[in-house]
Amino acid sequence: MNTSEESLREYTRRQFLGNTAKGLGTAAIASLLAKDATAGGIPHAQLPTAKAKRAIYLFMSGGPAQMDMYDYKPKMGEWFDKDLPDSVRMGQRLTTMTSKQARFPIAPSKYSFQQYGQGGTWMSELLPYTQKVADELAVIRTVWTEAINHDPAITYIQTGRQIPGLPSLGSWLSYGLGSANENLPTFVVLTATWTGRKQAQALYQRLWSSGPLASRHAGVSLRSSGDPVLYLSNPSGVDSQVRRAMLDGVNAFNQRTYEKELDPVVQDRISQYEMAFRMQSSVPDLTDLSKEPDHVFERYGPDSRKPGTFAYSCLLARRLAERGVRLTQIFHRGWDQHGGLPKDLPNQCRDIDQPTYALLTDLKERGLLDDTLVVWGGEFGRTVYCQGKLTKDNYGRDHHPKCFTMWMAGGGVKGGVNYGVTDDFSYNIVENPVHIRDINATIMHQLGIDHEKLSIKFKGLDLRLTGVEPTSPVKAILS
Amino acid sequence: MRHMLRLMLTSSTYLQDSASSEKKNRVDPANRLLSRGPRFRLDAEMIRDQALAASGLLERKVGGPSVKPYQPEGIWFAVGYSGSNTVRFKQDNGDKLYRRSLYTFWKRTAPPPTMEIFNAPSRENCTVQRERTNTPLQALVLMNDPQFVEAARHLAANAIKECGDDLAKRADYMAVRVLARKFDDVEQGIVRHSLEAFLNAYKNNPEGAKGVVSVGDSPAQEGIPTEELAAWTMVASQVLNFDEAITKH
Repeated sequence: MNTSEESLREYTRRQFLGNTAKGLGTAAIASLLAKDATAGGIPHAQLPTAKAKRAIYLFMSGGPAQMDMYDYKPKMGEWFDKDLPDSVRMGQRLTTMTSKQARFPIAPSKYSFQQYGQGGTWMSELLPYTQKVADELAVIRTVWTEAINHDPAITYIQTGRQIPGLPSLGSWLSYGLGSANENLPTFVVLTATWTGRKQAQALYQRLWSSGPLASRHAGVSLRSSGDPVLYLSNPSGVDSQVRRAMLDGVNAFNQRTYEKELDPVVQDRISQYEMAFRMQSSVPDLTDLSKEPDHVFERYGPDSRKPGTFAYSCLLARRLAERGVRLTQIFHRGWDQHGGLPKDLPNQCRDIDQPTYALLTDLKERGLLDDTLVVWGGEFGRTVYCQGKLTKDNYGRDHHPKCFTMWMAGGGVKGGVNYGVTDDFSYNIVENPVHIRDINATIMHQLGIDHEKLSIKFKGLDLRLTGVEPTSPVKAILS
Repeated sequence: MRHMLRLMLTSSTYLQDSASSEKKNRVDPANRLLSRGPRFRLDAEMIRDQALAASGLLERKVGGPSVKPYQPEGIWFAVGYSGSNTVRFKQDNGDKLYRRSLYTFWKRTAPPPTMEIFNAPSRENCTVQRERTNTPLQALVLMNDPQFVEAARHLAANAIKECGDDLAKRADYMAVRVLARKFDDVEQGIVRHSLEAFLNAYKNNPEGAKGVVSVGDSPAQEGIPTEELAAWTMVASQVLNFDEAITKH
């Protein structure tokens, strides 16, 4: 961003430092700048009613089958292999993967359901651990979107538009709230491994990009192998002492450049080099799990010791939450069960079930759940009718945008709540539709952002994450 | 078009010194009144190409298919569609590592990180103006990306070969190659001070020195003591990291 109030505000800060810098050493300048970086954000878009300081978003990429996990449809048992009535489908657009099918036979879920917790939340047998924290969850069964294919759908829920190029949710939060930790990025992305269907949909770095917002608001993807942050490690043979000597020389030289040119960008460069140096110790400290006690690993499950798994990512997400990162988003792939769902879905659920439970209980025990919003969901749901060959024990499901399940927990969200009603086919919404824009507005609301006020000028418009159509936070699930 | 460009580039407005002053910073902070010459960070491709050119590594061949220079492992795999023919990155070798960044292979779901970190556009929207950020990740690239560490080593080796034992001359050789000017006395002092620290460090740590000079695919230059080459590689790396080195002014 080269324009707007943002750069002007930065300018004043730099100017102030520029004018006072001459009597200060570079270290002092660096720490001044760093402190300033913890402020920031866009005050006029901030709400005094903020309930959460940070969020963790468990993103199930591919589209989880709502009727096999949360949206219990007992009547479907009688509908096995019967055609989906036209009165239900109502000519809705289908993907090209099933639009040529001669029939749309109903595939009832093969999994048994029970109610859990005070709120009586229905969950299937695939979620034995999540069942235990049912009363922490506000389950929304009536989320919907217009997109029916992965790329537009995931781009839509992440950025508010199906066409690429706009800022992601995390970037908006970073822009609106500013940073709470001078040593770490405000928005962190973790891409987890999965054990279901090997053939998984691609992710795209634009899903966490900052679009037209300044790129410091972009999600930083922490990697599970090699350097957690790209290029973090010094080359072989460069220890921290050599690095320090190298930086002292660079800073001294840059300081002289500043004195000659009086360009505040040079001061900023000095502070960015110091931040890089600090990250070289703060990031390894973050990702070093060796001091976590055994009982923590046991809670998150055996996978939590394997870097890159969903369980490991959840544990890391808790550590990021403790350090004030605004949004940690974990992408778990492999939910796209067009065929052989009963083979793959249990594996996918096993990947996430225990770690999700562990994350919620761990946050709660540490007193962090009250001000940490946890969100679970994917880019759309799946069809009640079968894709491909249908048997009692084997079926596939195509993409379904007209209703799917997401849940939220912590961060000022009421627990044990079930919101929205779908029809007997989990096909259409009967009561309380929640568009993905409303989901994003709810997340922003809990973190203290007015989704209508957080906007930037872009291509002649006031650009907002939630666009211009009527959108509001889902008040019924808020405490 | 050419006439217009010539008119702009030879105008006294454009030819002004880019140095600001307290008054200019106060009255014209964003240089909207053109009270000074332009001063901004180079684009991603230029920063990499400049390091390659200054070090003598640049492969000047024109045309041909895209190439895959150094890139940390796993970047494509983390996001790639499992069935895709670009799900795994396979680095090129030899001259292909040193071609202009224009020829770098571009995978849109996971662009070359060095380019992205320095604000090369994503290729997803038309870009009227590139963003120019100033981030710690950029510092990490210039300090640690093997492409830049290897370029620093070649720059250092050339300085040593061209200038014999004259330390100030060696430093100036690098300054001319990267900054297009010689160092002044104070700057020579800064370089000398750093050099002594590096030499001390590597005299006590020959293994470390060996590590520094083995970064990159090209072999370590022969005929230069390893500790000396390592220490001067760090000096050259400093020069490539100077604000002035990556700034048009």
